[in-house]
Amino acid sequence: MAPYLILALFLIGIWGLVRKDNLIKKVIALNIVNSALIVLFVYLGSLSGSTAPILVERLQRGARGGEAQSLEGLRRVADFVDPLPQALMLTDIVIGICLTALALTLAARIYRCYGTLDIRLLEKAAAQDEGRTEGDAPGGGPAGASSPPEGGPEDGRAGGTRRGGSDA
Amino acid sequence: MKRTLASLLLVLVLGAVLVFGVRQITPAPEALRNHFFRRGVEQTGSVNLVSSIYLGYRAFDTLGETVVLFLAVAGVMALQAGKQ
Amino acid sequence: MKESELVDIVSRKLVPFILLFGCYLISHGHLSPGGGFQGGAVLAAGITLLCLSRGVKDTLRSFPMRRMSLSESAAFLMILVVGVIGLVLGRGFLGNFLPLGTPGEVPSAGFIFFLNLLIGLKVGTGISLVLFTLLREEE
Repeated sequence: MAPYLILALFLIGIWGLVRKDNLIKKVIALNIVNSALIVLFVYLGSLSGSTAPILVERLQRGARGGEAQSLEGLRRVADFVDPLPQALMLTDIVIGICLTALALTLAARIYRCYGTLDIRLLEKAAAQDEGRTEGDAPGGGPAGASSPPEGGPEDGRAGGTRRGGSDA
Repeated sequence: MKRTLASLLLVLVLGAVLVFGVRQITPAPEALRNHFFRRGVEQTGSVNLVSSIYLGYRAFDTLGETVVLFLAVAGVMALQAGKQ
Repeated sequence: MKESELVDIVSRKLVPFILLFGCYLISHGHLSPGGGFQGGAVLAAGITLLCLSRGVKDTLRSFPMRRMSLSESAAFLMILVVGVIGLVLGRGFLGNFLPLGTPGEVPSAGFIFFLNLLIGLKVGTGISLVLFTLLREEE
């Protein structure tokens, strides 16, 4: 049952990535896909046992001041979950954070420049900008945003004029 | 409407292919887990086995991950999303 | 972004405990679930709560941007230096060269404890810098 739910989460993320038009919703869908894959790996690791991979009896024995028992006494293999996929998925979570941070920064820059986050309007605006830069007219703002954008219109046009010369 | 149908078709086809893969999930061989259980504490000294893996046995991957985080922070600050 | 007095007062009482909990997670990473990344994320969450309730400009008075950036770079450099020290002392790059104490106490697993502290500092300050940059209002 659980792997099918993880598959459903993955497919929901893919559907959101393909179907939604807003850039922020696409970033959220990318995050959902990332989370589904992390949960899948941890689930595959958890099939080998049933308790967390932290040797608590060693912790309690050390804290009480007794001598640390050698591992011959604990030779009986306990019912621990595989710790390797969990350690690898820690890296994956941090990489998800980095991906989301950079994607949101790029989305914020696009909004400053074009005044909208709808990718259909952005396609038209980018095509018109590309046609305009060949014609050597740096002063024109993106006229592709004909329908009222989601933010202030002044932001879009003012940002468009400074697009070529803005510093990093 | 056509876009919704096309994306739904894509997702259903992808789901059918992946269900075929999900049905073959079996538990992993237990040799590595037994090695971590027996030798983990005396080789790295940490009771938390997950920490002993990503900071003891495979610390190089953790170094690469800190490099990625550093690059992401530098990239966000260089792109300066907040300033006008 | 000073919208609500209630959020401001409650967060000012709550943030020191969040930062303390983050330091606890970082320092006990080899004894219980936690570690550098988890504790660093909790530290960044505490600083973000401060940003959301008081505005970025007030938070930058307690956590200045230049100091955070400097400490992030210094922690990263220290991780590399510790790795090279392990290489020089003959245990391999990022090899364990500190003595292992008794397992179950905080000073045990010397190298892992030290690495947890450095990674926790780096992740905490790094994510806080990202959030300062994204949440900053235009002047």
